[in-house]
Amino acid sequence: MRRKWMAIFICFLLVVTPTGCWSRRELDTLGLATGAGIDQTENGYRVSVQVVNPEQIAETGGQGPPVTTLQTEADTLFECLRKLTIKSPRKAYFSHFRMIVISEEVSRKGVRDILDFFSRDHETRTDFFIVIAKKTPALDVLSHFTHIQKIPSQKLFDSLTTSQEAWAPTVGVQLDQLITDIVSEGKEPVLTGVYVQGKNEIGNKEENIRRIHPPALLAYTPLGVLKKDRLVGWLNERESIGYNYALNNVKNTVGDVPCPKGGKLVIEVVRSKGDIRGSVENGVPHGKINIQVEGNIGEVSCQIDLNDAQTYYELEKRAEQRIKKYVLSSIKKSKQLQSDIFGFGDAIYRDNPRYWKKIKKDWDQRYPQLKVDVQVDVKLQGSGTVGNSFIQKMEK
Amino acid sequence: MPQWKRWSRNKGRQKPMSQEKPDTVWLKSDLTENLLHIKQSFGNSSDLNIREIFLDRDEKICMAVLYMEGLADENQVQHFVIKPLIHDENNYMDGYDSFLEYIKMRVIAGGSVQDLHDYHSVYTSLLSGRTVILSEGIPRGIAVSSQGLESRNVSEPITETVIRGPHEAFCESLRKNIALLRWRIKSPNLWLETRKIGRVTGTNVAIMYINGIVNEKVLKELHSRLDRIDLDGVLESGYIEQLIQDEKYSPFPTIDNTERPDIATAALLEGRVILLVDGTPFVLILPVVFPQLLQSPEDYYNKTDYGFVRILRYISLFVSLLAPSLYVAVTTFHQEMLHTTLLISLAAQREGIPFPAFVEAVLMEFIFETLREAGLRMLRPVGTAITIVGALVLGEAAVQAGLVSPAMVIVVSITAISSFAIPSYELRLPIRALRFLFMALAASFGLYGIVLGGITLLLHLTSLRSFGIPYMSPLAPFNIEGQKDTLFRFPLWLMKTRPRLISQYNRVRQQSTGPRKPDSRP
Repeated sequence: MRRKWMAIFICFLLVVTPTGCWSRRELDTLGLATGAGIDQTENGYRVSVQVVNPEQIAETGGQGPPVTTLQTEADTLFECLRKLTIKSPRKAYFSHFRMIVISEEVSRKGVRDILDFFSRDHETRTDFFIVIAKKTPALDVLSHFTHIQKIPSQKLFDSLTTSQEAWAPTVGVQLDQLITDIVSEGKEPVLTGVYVQGKNEIGNKEENIRRIHPPALLAYTPLGVLKKDRLVGWLNERESIGYNYALNNVKNTVGDVPCPKGGKLVIEVVRSKGDIRGSVENGVPHGKINIQVEGNIGEVSCQIDLNDAQTYYELEKRAEQRIKKYVLSSIKKSKQLQSDIFGFGDAIYRDNPRYWKKIKKDWDQRYPQLKVDVQVDVKLQGSGTVGNSFIQKMEK
Repeated sequence: MPQWKRWSRNKGRQKPMSQEKPDTVWLKSDLTENLLHIKQSFGNSSDLNIREIFLDRDEKICMAVLYMEGLADENQVQHFVIKPLIHDENNYMDGYDSFLEYIKMRVIAGGSVQDLHDYHSVYTSLLSGRTVILSEGIPRGIAVSSQGLESRNVSEPITETVIRGPHEAFCESLRKNIALLRWRIKSPNLWLETRKIGRVTGTNVAIMYINGIVNEKVLKELHSRLDRIDLDGVLESGYIEQLIQDEKYSPFPTIDNTERPDIATAALLEGRVILLVDGTPFVLILPVVFPQLLQSPEDYYNKTDYGFVRILRYISLFVSLLAPSLYVAVTTFHQEMLHTTLLISLAAQREGIPFPAFVEAVLMEFIFETLREAGLRMLRPVGTAITIVGALVLGEAAVQAGLVSPAMVIVVSITAISSFAIPSYELRLPIRALRFLFMALAASFGLYGIVLGGITLLLHLTSLRSFGIPYMSPLAPFNIEGQKDTLFRFPLWLMKTRPRLISQYNRVRQQSTGPRKPDSRP
């Protein structure tokens, strides 16, 4: 009998004493934060948090906006977030952050203080994307009526997820990867940028989604290059493509290739594998990028005979040159910015840790002199559902 | 010492109402005295019929024919007892010790005849519907079988219906029920023991098993447990079940019941014991294991689905036990676990609901359970009204009024539907009660509480035994052969053995090989 009661008592202790994420909160007391924007103020931050108005999202739909963006100013991020309660009836709940938008100004000064909070707080998960608001305050990006997907942060999230899979220049960076890149000595991070395309002042009004052609749109820009935790410059679209090919971030994209007789032809990449290696030869570090691409011909707008195997070899060669050009241009840019976003340092460390130890201190100075060998191998598999283009027949 | 223990002790001390068997009182030689005694014992009840007959022309030999109106078949009494007695010419009486012996051997046309020596046996014979013959000058009597109480005919099972399989159910008559089993198992090895239980009701209880397959230990244990029963009346097999089950306080059934003769037959063939109780169509099956409660006879009558439906039932078992509590736990403790879109949609539904999720869940479950309970006892014509009101209250009005969220209605409906997918009614009862317990755990400790509750439940289930057989076998203790017929349902020709723990000594069920392709095509 006594043993039984002891067992019950122990069970009770087990239930009551262990700690964990166990604070009970009803759904209707949560301020569901889906995104946060961080702008610089004179001596602190202005944090804007996008909180969902669930009722407006629901099937029945209300009249108000789907989200409310609240902003506060304080010296530190956590203070800002807690200070939100003076403006909001519900305490913000951070687990469902989709986007963190950092203004260009903040990112030029350094993002480390911001990231610490997000990685420390137990409520936040690490599966949101971090982007830089280019030429617009983060607040504007988050106070924007968006079409199709009503919640702007979710729209940004979805749009980045799809575009990084179907369009080479973008890449979604999540918290843990960003932190890893910042901490790592041989690799520097990149972040995608976002900006408001069109009339920024209308984006905040409902009018924006009442038009078939929205006056203001949230769109992604090519990659921003960071050095440690500071933004140092931007890649253009082609450089971003080169970067993503090298880093194996390309899943599916399209790229054009000039035809031999003028005009253009588009190749849809269905598989791509990028590999970065480092080596040390005669005391000199070398980088090597190897890219293997498989693709199909997706669009032909030139005179070309696709029934000839030779044409394919020719096209493959041209595509290889094209990609190689992109990669080289992005390497060039990164060398200019003195930021090893490709992770050559890391590759060299993996190849020769001792050597890396010697050079890691002045790697920033050495990086611009690094010799990089780029090899691209393109394989064309097919030409879609037709052979030669009808253009060929037309012009005969 | 806890209070309940004290109570149960006090109960033990109380003397049972004095209904002890009186010392045997032998029949007298004097017929008048005998009849008077019997009449008095029955308090001159008018359904005790006494017919006095003179056997011979000289009117010397007086006999009395006694039977209970209604219990005995009047026709049988007339044709097989009274008529032969009256028409008898006493021609061959010489060879017998007494004319009572003569009547027994040569006159009575009834099927079974029994000698009576004391009053008590006279009473039991009369009350079982037999006809009793007493005679002047002889301190003995004979009882002739003439039972004729009308009972319901064999009809379709109400609680356990199948699409394919026999549509036949046990009825209230013990004799018919036994016959239903005998008819299915044509083997002298189907043994039957009967005993009377209930000091006042003296209900007939029959134990049936197949000799050679049954586990002797179970049988012995059953006998000793039945011996311990001492109650005044047995109205349903549930009385016996509750008094002989293994665990005193467990809500889980360690004895199964069925009203289908085919299920009982299958149980017999597996080496289980069947307990039939007079007056109820529900027979007891023992020992029973947990996986058995999630089986349906149709699992075997149809071609194998390799366990698809079985696994579906296990899933619905978990759903009906845990769905509301998981919903409560996830929405109040672990919002980060949900997909953002789902969470927003749930949050939108919760908007403006005045109750916490737990109260909402309990409220809805409560309404559902009440509705179910009400529908169960309701007259059939009123049943539709209940359905309409229930559907309106549960589905429409509560949501429209903003008292509960649509998601909760969905959760409760899923729970309800899943609970009906559990074949055993007996198993639904504890699941239903435990659902509320799990909801409380979820509301106070989240998933952590559910996990702890689940572990406790699992420990409890594995600790249970049914007549010495581990309740969770063949899952725990694990038995590879048993897996052919637990979660999965292997083709029939592969299930060659009986359940290992239940029929320990005679395990081979069949040796048939599977279907074969013909050697040459026709």
